[in-house]
Amino acid sequence: MNLGTRKLLDHSFTALGFGSIIIMGLALLVVLFPIATKGVGAFVFKGTIEHRKLLLSEFHRGDPKEIVKEETETNRYRQKVFDMLAAFDQELDQMDYEQQSKYRSSYDQVKTSLRTLLGPLPGDSEPALTRFQYGQTRWDKAEEKLHGLLYEQKWDYSNPDVIAKPYDVSRAAGFAGTSLVKLFPYVEENLDKMMMPEWTFYWGFFTESSLDAHFFGGIWPEIQGTIFLAIGAMLFAFPLGVIAAIYFTEYARDGFLTSMLRSANSTLAGVPSIVFGLFGLAFFINTLHVSESKSVLAGSLTLAIMILPTIIRAAEEAILAVPKTYKEASLGLGSTKWNTIVTVILPAALPGILTGGVISLGRAAGETAPIIFTAAVSVGAAIGLGDVLTSPTPALSWNIYNLASEHEAAAEIRHVQYGMVLALVTVVLLLNLSAVILRARISKKLKG
Amino acid sequence: MPMSLEATETKKNDNSSTGALDIYLPPERKKVTGGGQPHVVAKNFSIYYGEFEAVKKVNADILSKYVTAIIGPSGCGKSTFLRAINRMNDLIPNCHTTGALMFDGEDVYGKFTDEVLLRKKIGMVFQKPNPFPKSIFDNIAYGPRLHGVKDRKTLEGIVERSLRKAALWDEVSDRLDKNALGLSGGQQQRLCVARTLAVEPEILLLDEPTSALDPKATAKIEDLIQELRGSYTIMIVTHNMQQASRVSDYTMFFYEGVLVEHAPTAQLFTRPKDQMTEDYITGRFS
Amino acid sequence: MNGDVASNQSRSSEFIVSAQKHKIQKIKQKAGEAILLLIASFVAIVVFFIFWFVARDAVPFFRLRGFAEFFTSADWYPADDPPKFGSLAIIYGSLMVTLGSALIAVPMGVIASICLSDILPFSVRQYVKPVIEMLAAIPSVAYGFFALVVFAPLLQNNGGPILMWTWWVIAAPFFLLAVIVASELLTTSIAKESMKKSAKMALNIVLSLLAILFLYVVGNHLQGLVIMSGTNALNVSIILSFMALPTIVSVSEDALQAVGRELREGSYALGATRAETIVKTILPAASSGILAAVILGIMRALGETMVVWMASGNSSSIPVPFYNYLDSVRTLTATIAGDMGEADQVTGSARFHVLFAMGLLLLIVSFVSNLISERIVVRQRKILSGQ
Repeated sequence: MNLGTRKLLDHSFTALGFGSIIIMGLALLVVLFPIATKGVGAFVFKGTIEHRKLLLSEFHRGDPKEIVKEETETNRYRQKVFDMLAAFDQELDQMDYEQQSKYRSSYDQVKTSLRTLLGPLPGDSEPALTRFQYGQTRWDKAEEKLHGLLYEQKWDYSNPDVIAKPYDVSRAAGFAGTSLVKLFPYVEENLDKMMMPEWTFYWGFFTESSLDAHFFGGIWPEIQGTIFLAIGAMLFAFPLGVIAAIYFTEYARDGFLTSMLRSANSTLAGVPSIVFGLFGLAFFINTLHVSESKSVLAGSLTLAIMILPTIIRAAEEAILAVPKTYKEASLGLGSTKWNTIVTVILPAALPGILTGGVISLGRAAGETAPIIFTAAVSVGAAIGLGDVLTSPTPALSWNIYNLASEHEAAAEIRHVQYGMVLALVTVVLLLNLSAVILRARISKKLKG
Repeated sequence: MPMSLEATETKKNDNSSTGALDIYLPPERKKVTGGGQPHVVAKNFSIYYGEFEAVKKVNADILSKYVTAIIGPSGCGKSTFLRAINRMNDLIPNCHTTGALMFDGEDVYGKFTDEVLLRKKIGMVFQKPNPFPKSIFDNIAYGPRLHGVKDRKTLEGIVERSLRKAALWDEVSDRLDKNALGLSGGQQQRLCVARTLAVEPEILLLDEPTSALDPKATAKIEDLIQELRGSYTIMIVTHNMQQASRVSDYTMFFYEGVLVEHAPTAQLFTRPKDQMTEDYITGRFS
Repeated sequence: MNGDVASNQSRSSEFIVSAQKHKIQKIKQKAGEAILLLIASFVAIVVFFIFWFVARDAVPFFRLRGFAEFFTSADWYPADDPPKFGSLAIIYGSLMVTLGSALIAVPMGVIASICLSDILPFSVRQYVKPVIEMLAAIPSVAYGFFALVVFAPLLQNNGGPILMWTWWVIAAPFFLLAVIVASELLTTSIAKESMKKSAKMALNIVLSLLAILFLYVVGNHLQGLVIMSGTNALNVSIILSFMALPTIVSVSEDALQAVGRELREGSYALGATRAETIVKTILPAASSGILAAVILGIMRALGETMVVWMASGNSSSIPVPFYNYLDSVRTLTATIAGDMGEADQVTGSARFHVLFAMGLLLLIVSFVSNLISERIVVRQRKILSGQ
């Protein structure tokens, strides 16, 4: 091969390397971007009058006078809609049976759409579920629902070779010639006056309990559950891990026992997380009976054994990175080995040990599989600190799965799911960031 | 031009009058009182790393309150011998000894010797300055605290005394609470000396204490050794023969683990008995 | 006079301890070390317990149903009466997504680690490392959520064009390069300089046209693919590959760093380009370490639960045809996670124990591959240190 081709290959190789690293960076951005932007939407959004009404009656927040004033204002515009409905009701009564049945089902759909948009219509009985007691609390959702009111979605099955495609059919056209026809442009034009959207910073998203299976309210029980589980896991794993690391670095002699213990450590690090869940169920709950069934305690113990290898490895590395001269100096002054470890080596290794601890804390907070069978429940209120030994808890990681995959109306509460993912990812990445900062400070300190 | 010529002339004259080895002539020193007894005694003392005999059957008396220098090419076992005296070699796996090493008439490697208490009596300063990443005060107070001194006033007294002895007090007295790693290399090494003095040892082992320092800092450490001479038994490993001649009263020359010659410094450097010693100090090998 | 002796005695007693005290010290020391050892052995005890307890609940399944059905049948109807526990399709699903993610993650990871260790300057590396760490730190449920809510609809609605464009972007440069190298290699035997040049030119044009034709045909086929559901093996493989990447990159970077500078300098001094040095000298030297990295990365993908549970479609049948990555699959981990909710109502039933049997299978595979990778790393270290 001539030099030119060799050079070309060399450059292509370099480009390939850059390419794969850039793809990794892009992947990170692609994953984080929707989570960040849509996640923020969970607590910063245009809230409608329905949102304010909800806050007032369910969480007792907001200025009642102001809200009543707004309500009368919006009701003025809504009344017209209701009047139109009443007028059409009368019109319907005067039609013959055939005509009636022509409009009936379509009219019911319109009413349902209006209910989801504005809340119960006049004459409806009080709905049992909170989600039906209010109209759309978020303006973006309201606009979506408006589209559902204006257009009916139909499917195009004409080409059997491709998947059927949806298309919109105007509802207004279906009511041509009746009085209801005016309703559609009216709602479209005056929706903002009926809803009064306002930019809202809903901090309650992080501090309040959820209402009606996460249709409304916040995610505090999940956040608290995640904190309990992660800290609980650290309480068990951190001391054990650091002591084990001290043994491995300062006391262990080369031999069969030591190499077996090290092997065990890397085996534990490689166990699939779901198997930890199985083990937690079989051992902590079904055998040791640490609690009746799922509990924070059982979950923490399971998470603890999962993060133990990481903590041991990080602590070992941190201890080994302490200059040998410190140890020599301390021993040379007549300090015992244990004393040297406690007063010189551990303080010097502490930032490194903490780095490992912080990363493990993030891992414990983010893991789902080990807590499915041992600690997590889908719905529930925040539990008190006294209940951690016996009660299960909702947790961010589990509820993200649960709301996204198993919730009856998963698509309706995407914003809550995004908010949860954002909360979880932010916590984990912040913990990792602090680990990076800690590490930078160590290397600075060791340089003097 | 004539000036400088004249200067070289005089130097040459000075040298030629006393012979080539006279650059090693020790300076005038103060008298040592109450010293001179055998403080550390080695009898057929050997040190092994596994199978390898790093120090071979050494017999020597180290006299109290005097400065003894240990010289020799690298890998000759001089550091190993020094570190054996306060059992720092215990840290090295597979390291064991035969023969006897006595300190104050007791076997350093005896069954009932507590190496922790031993190291309190025999302090050590290492090649590279190794202060703890703590404040200056805490560095000095580390040893006394270990051995049970809790009272702040007493500690302050010890810290000041030790720093004064190490000729560092004037430089750091106003920043005792600052991190010791902020000091210069020379200051750090004197701090290490002070830290060792704070536990009141009888013997001070210095393992190439100036090899990581610049000439100025080196001079300060050497001055310090002179200050401490007479109060402590001092042993210093050095690869710098001029330093050995400047600071020590006795010199031991090691070659390939064997103690070749052990004599008063002036004698060893000017009239070495052994051909090997002469070859080494005249620079025929190193 | 006597005072001297007395002081001498008291002095020596400062570091000589009495026999009794010596004994107590020894015992204390041993006891302390024993306690430390006990705590350090905790990990080994846990590993033993995990095997013990998972196996304890897995054995009843095999006792009830035997081995044959579990490993050879693809009929998974645990809730039927009588139930069927054929797990072949599920095992196949696990293997399929693992293989898929490995196909993406291994080349990318190895190349990225080479780039990190040998190509990027230190100042850039500092910024790349946190990116990799962040990829590793993002919780798996967040990846799963992304796969289900963002990626799956995208794939379902625009899968064909996405696949086509990816194909073009990745394959086109490779083909271009291959054309240049191939025409160079094929014309080396031609002696006459002018003829060589024109032959090369002609070859270049012919081969390029062929390559473009091939690219176009494949691209067209990809664009026409119908993706029935975005939650399929392809989706999961892609997401899993990004989760396995950090492991592969960091472990193989360690292996590459362990190859000394001498080897690199030796190769450069012989006039090799950087790519030649890396491919011919460094990669072979680091190969076993990279292999270990690959094993660890693959294990990460095989053991992952949340992503596959949320985004694989969970259909327990073998795709048709068997290599169809656009079909939904179901994995061992997802089955354990998904079925326990119903199965643990009936503790003691085969339906409960079969999940532990799957867990045991995963555990054994992870254990064995861990041992292998550990052996490999130890061996490489020995070879590199010249023992």
